[in-house]
Amino acid sequence: MKKRLDRRTVLRGLLGSAAIAIGLPTLEIFLNDTGTAYAGGDSFPKRFGIFFWGNGNLPDKWVPSGTGPEWEITEQLTPLAAFKEHLTVVSGMKVQTGNSVPHGSGPVGMLSGAPYPIGDETTFAVPSIDQVIASVIGTETRFKSLEVGVQPDGYGLSYNGPHSVNPPESSPAAMFNRVFGGGFVLPGSNATPDPRLDLRRSVLDVVKDDAERLKGRLGSADKARLEQHLEGVRGLEKQIKKLQENPPSLAACSVPGEPKAEYPDVDGRPPLSEISRAMADILAMALACDQTRVFSDWFSSPVNNTLYPDTTSGHHQLTHDEPDPQPQVNSIVLYTMTELAYLLGALHAVEEGESTLLEHTALLITSDTSYARAHSIEEYPILIAGSANGALKKGVHYRSPANENTSKVLLTLARAMGLSMESYGQGAGMVTSSLSAIEV
Amino acid sequence: MTGLAVLLPILAAFGACADLEESAPVPPDPPAVAATAGAPRLSVAQYRNAIRDLFGQGIAVPPALEPDTSLSGFVSIGSAQSAISPRGVEQYEEAAFKIAEQALATQTQRAALAPCKPAGPADDACARTFVTKLGRRVWRRPLDEEEVTKLAGVITGAQQARRLLRRSAFSIAALLQAPSFLYRPAFGEAGAGAQNKATSYEMASRLSFFLWNSTPDDALLDAAENGELTDAATVEREVVRMLDDPRARGGLRNFVTEYLRLDQLDQLSKDPTIFTYYSPDLGPAAREETLLDFEALVFDHDGDYRDLFTSRRTFVNAKLASMYQVAAPSPTGFGEVELPEDIPRRGLLGHVSFLSLYAHPTSSSATLRGKLVRTVLLCGDIPPPPVDVNTAIPEPSPDAATLRDRVKIHLEDPFCAGCHLRMDPIGLGLENFDGVGRFREKDNGAAIDASGELDGAAFNGPLELSLAIKNHPDLAACFTRRMYEYATSSTPDHQEDEVIAALAARFSASGHRVKELMRAIATSPGFRLVGEMP
Repeated sequence: MKKRLDRRTVLRGLLGSAAIAIGLPTLEIFLNDTGTAYAGGDSFPKRFGIFFWGNGNLPDKWVPSGTGPEWEITEQLTPLAAFKEHLTVVSGMKVQTGNSVPHGSGPVGMLSGAPYPIGDETTFAVPSIDQVIASVIGTETRFKSLEVGVQPDGYGLSYNGPHSVNPPESSPAAMFNRVFGGGFVLPGSNATPDPRLDLRRSVLDVVKDDAERLKGRLGSADKARLEQHLEGVRGLEKQIKKLQENPPSLAACSVPGEPKAEYPDVDGRPPLSEISRAMADILAMALACDQTRVFSDWFSSPVNNTLYPDTTSGHHQLTHDEPDPQPQVNSIVLYTMTELAYLLGALHAVEEGESTLLEHTALLITSDTSYARAHSIEEYPILIAGSANGALKKGVHYRSPANENTSKVLLTLARAMGLSMESYGQGAGMVTSSLSAIEV
Repeated sequence: MTGLAVLLPILAAFGACADLEESAPVPPDPPAVAATAGAPRLSVAQYRNAIRDLFGQGIAVPPALEPDTSLSGFVSIGSAQSAISPRGVEQYEEAAFKIAEQALATQTQRAALAPCKPAGPADDACARTFVTKLGRRVWRRPLDEEEVTKLAGVITGAQQARRLLRRSAFSIAALLQAPSFLYRPAFGEAGAGAQNKATSYEMASRLSFFLWNSTPDDALLDAAENGELTDAATVEREVVRMLDDPRARGGLRNFVTEYLRLDQLDQLSKDPTIFTYYSPDLGPAAREETLLDFEALVFDHDGDYRDLFTSRRTFVNAKLASMYQVAAPSPTGFGEVELPEDIPRRGLLGHVSFLSLYAHPTSSSATLRGKLVRTVLLCGDIPPPPVDVNTAIPEPSPDAATLRDRVKIHLEDPFCAGCHLRMDPIGLGLENFDGVGRFREKDNGAAIDASGELDGAAFNGPLELSLAIKNHPDLAACFTRRMYEYATSSTPDHQEDEVIAALAARFSASGHRVKELMRAIATSPGFRLVGEMP
């Protein structure tokens, strides 16, 4: 059987992001003259992020008792206790797009609101939520979005459409160079732009002409692939333009410390904590310096079999083989939440006006399953950190009474970021109402 | 049916089939059916090889290029369907400038690339000659007037550099970032019609990326310029030449790497406290063994593909030699060795590459090994595992010490057995090799029972299992299908089944010589046609 997606699916996916993400013009969203457009908000830009880890959680040790502002930190959320007032727990939700592919159906449904394409391999029928949001709030910054990874051989699930992934950078040194390496202009520094930038631009003109000519002759699926390539070329042109500008000073912006060139395994185990923290420090400054407003942090991948410290097997194998109550699996979730706490701390340490970068952010925190042994996608693990500059409630636990659709979270987040959307998702994943209980 | 399946291996084992094959007539040409493939984008390996062949061995290509996407088992297929990310486009730019700089670093390099002596930094005629000549090699087709004008304009407009040849770095950067270099579209001669023939230049690219995994050489481009590659006889001539070229070894190595996912050996995760033989250099060494073994079979011995599963010949370095309990052939590199007679390690399924990749970080896996054999080597289908199932298997205990005892439920519970019976028995036949591929007689202190049955052929232990796989009726046909998928960068539809069947017949008639299969695919009528554009 052919596994190729048909023409219409490809077009819908690749070009569809523009169609669904009709939001307010960027300037209206951010240049907030009165400071009252959003309750409690200020004039700083909103940022959106995803923190994702693989192989799920243990719901019994995760879901808090008590709802609304009255909830208690649970065992698996303990590392996040210091950020309780910035954290919203959403529990009892279910990915409604079906569960045909273990570790695949869950994250695709969760992150895109659309079903996993039938007969296909890991891919998305439509863009993931970060790219939907980036296509609206990512247009003014040097980078539309930044994707980082922590697990050395891991992969990410930020998609522009079918077979169009944005692979995460998992080397902190490469990430540092990409954002703060050659050509970086510290906002407010009045640096003279590099004369080579104009030459790079003239080279890109030739590249664009060639791409346009080729695109005109191709079939529709390939045309969409070339259009995606052109999108990248236009992104480069924007980066060059940004490097030639002298952006206004940003108080919290500074170049972070340079990470180590390499992070070799220790006793056959990758130093995930060290890598994760180096990445978090770079991400926080990339956001503080307004190099991007959208990011995703792929801490570990679905089905990853990484050897964590003090565990006797790979992560995925443990989720299936370790007898309940799975103390080693639990320790890996705790390890992951500890690193998430470091990221939240890095964002919270960046002061922006009377508030902090964390407050200006909405960070979606999720995984590929809940209880991984059964590949369950009910009781889905969902946390939101930050309030999107006052658009979301903070420090509450929303408990769904009846397996509500996880796409509601996506609609809430998209709206909180300023996108005006009537619905979110496709097929069984589509919702027309959001989670008003966590909205301001 | 079962009786025949048992009989066939026995016949083959006694060499009866080989005699029959020699007198058999050459099977007919495969039908002229085109594969549907889009415009593949160069894989990371193809990009690197192309740079090497265009600018010379010494150019360091920056390692950071967008990782390949594998679809339906092949990067080759993924490259025709996946789209590049914005980050990937950034990386192309960075790489293009770094390569351009190195390509023009020395006087000798500049002289080699410059077909004329520039009269000054604004010598438009010389700039045009430069891009015309280099452009044909990089874009694998002649450039038209407009393209030449634009690229020459990049050179003469680069006023920041004083010398024309230095300025030409910008045109190299443009050539290398252009989709005309990065993609391999085929539009064909007619543009429409039931039988749209690929142009000579398109054929040059097709042949070179299939057989060499790299860009065409000047001889191939010259043949294309003369319009020779739409003709079966000339294509045959070029294919024979190309298979004799050392680059064909690189092409085969790439196929094997994709076919068996050997790239993943760079990220092998093994617990060194359990597997004391494990060290980070094991994965790359194991890959090299498998690649050298394939290379020797195909190019040095022109041998039977099926012998790959039973051969005692292999290639090891000191690390692998100690694992295989043979004397190291060389203190530093790899060398050929005979595996010891008394240890049942033979052929591909005895390679550390296969055994360690298809295993867990702290143990072996009968399911992963069996699945690879069933799906990749024998083209069988296994649906994805079900959800909402408790998949735990018991920890080793005195009652259930070996993996066979622990995965009993896979084979006894009808809910599990539907799929697992097609995988686990194969993998259990390889339980004498632990999670990194070291030979063992016991698992958790208990003797290993490595007996089983593969589609009617009973075996006891890895030696007999390898023989059963070698003689499996689907083995050669499946290899043909995989090579065809790789060559065409597509998943075949039903019309192409006939093509594959005809190719498989040729493969078999040739005594399962892989070189002959590559030749048969590259010269088949369908390979010269352009299918519907996706």
